[in-house]
Amino acid sequence: MAVDIVSVTLRALGFAALFQAAGLTFFLTLFGWELNRPRPGLRRLGAVAAIAGVLLILAHLALDAPRMAGDFSGLWDGELQRLAWNSGSGTAALVQAAGLLGIALSLRRPGGVGARRAALCALIALGGFLLTGHTSTHPLRPLLAALLALHLLVIAFWFGSLAPLLLVIGTEARPLAARILARYSAIAGWLVPLILVAGLSLAWILAGSLAVLRQPYGQLLIAKIAGFGLLMLLAAANRWRLVPALAAGSPVTALRRSIGMEIALLVAVLSTTAVLTTYYSPH
Amino acid sequence: MKPRLAFAVLALALLPLPAFAHAHLAGSTPADGSVVTVPPTHFMLKFSEAAHLTALSLRREGGGKAQKIAPLPTAASKSFSIIAPKLSPGSFSLSYRVVAADDNHLSMGTIRFQLSPAP
Repeated sequence: MAVDIVSVTLRALGFAALFQAAGLTFFLTLFGWELNRPRPGLRRLGAVAAIAGVLLILAHLALDAPRMAGDFSGLWDGELQRLAWNSGSGTAALVQAAGLLGIALSLRRPGGVGARRAALCALIALGGFLLTGHTSTHPLRPLLAALLALHLLVIAFWFGSLAPLLLVIGTEARPLAARILARYSAIAGWLVPLILVAGLSLAWILAGSLAVLRQPYGQLLIAKIAGFGLLMLLAAANRWRLVPALAAGSPVTALRRSIGMEIALLVAVLSTTAVLTTYYSPH
Repeated sequence: MKPRLAFAVLALALLPLPAFAHAHLAGSTPADGSVVTVPPTHFMLKFSEAAHLTALSLRREGGGKAQKIAPLPTAASKSFSIIAPKLSPGSFSLSYRVVAADDNHLSMGTIRFQLSPAP
């Protein structure tokens, strides 16, 4: 149905905007003090992503009632709108929107203080995810919340740093850009296994069976595995071939293209996640 | 790097971005795929967990637009009994949307049945 397609599209775009804004604040906190030229551009990118995220998340929430009704008439159904806005999902969306708004406001202030405040707001925005879903109703909620938080933080840092890296490549002096890229790759290389630890633990506790792989939920997971495999290949190529080549003075075109593809693939993976979490359950 | 890469690939398989509880249809009258000889006076729907029934519509196969069935109960419940409209023989699709009471996740489905008077 049209309302479902619009809703899942908004959800996917909302994910991308939220992770972009949140991850960018982590990037600014870690690397901002080293940068010379791209800081205003980065702050602008973060603010735009955050405001877009607020609008997308609220629009998605407003479409919950039409989805419940099966058509857009639900937009004007007070009972269904109340159900949507008073739910755990509604609270989660409002917390995410508040966090994103905080990011946009904090990034108006230049320097490290603004970046650190924005990073705190990013934690709030990501924390919204902990207020809904299976993890929020499970008896092991504290453990699941910690694992999910770890998982989301790493995804945000990874995804949200890619566009800033493109900006750094385009505006900074070559040696500094190469140094920042190398440091980012090294940090990301250590964080990636944490995605596994958190993901494996969560999946085991929530699903507890590989039988899920035979259902649509599992099939979408397999599609995501394929996308993620490609992402890892790109990341490996960046770290061991393209970043050293940049430092050695090679043209930046290949690295730019590779990071651009990484962004596109990650958006595809996030979109798959939006479909997965909108329509399917591991149970 | 290889073990780390393998770990990362596996991680996506288990990517646990918020998964949600779903209320599954546990049973219905008429049952999905059934042939009934007497027009049902009520539609009975039972779910795996308490849910809000937010939409119910009936479509005659080969017919026109789906008929919305209203009003629906506003309280959450595991089972619903809804007065059925008067039906003449034919094949029908009864589509529902429910929202889980615990986390408001939406589930939807369709029950197909045939009304065929006994000879």
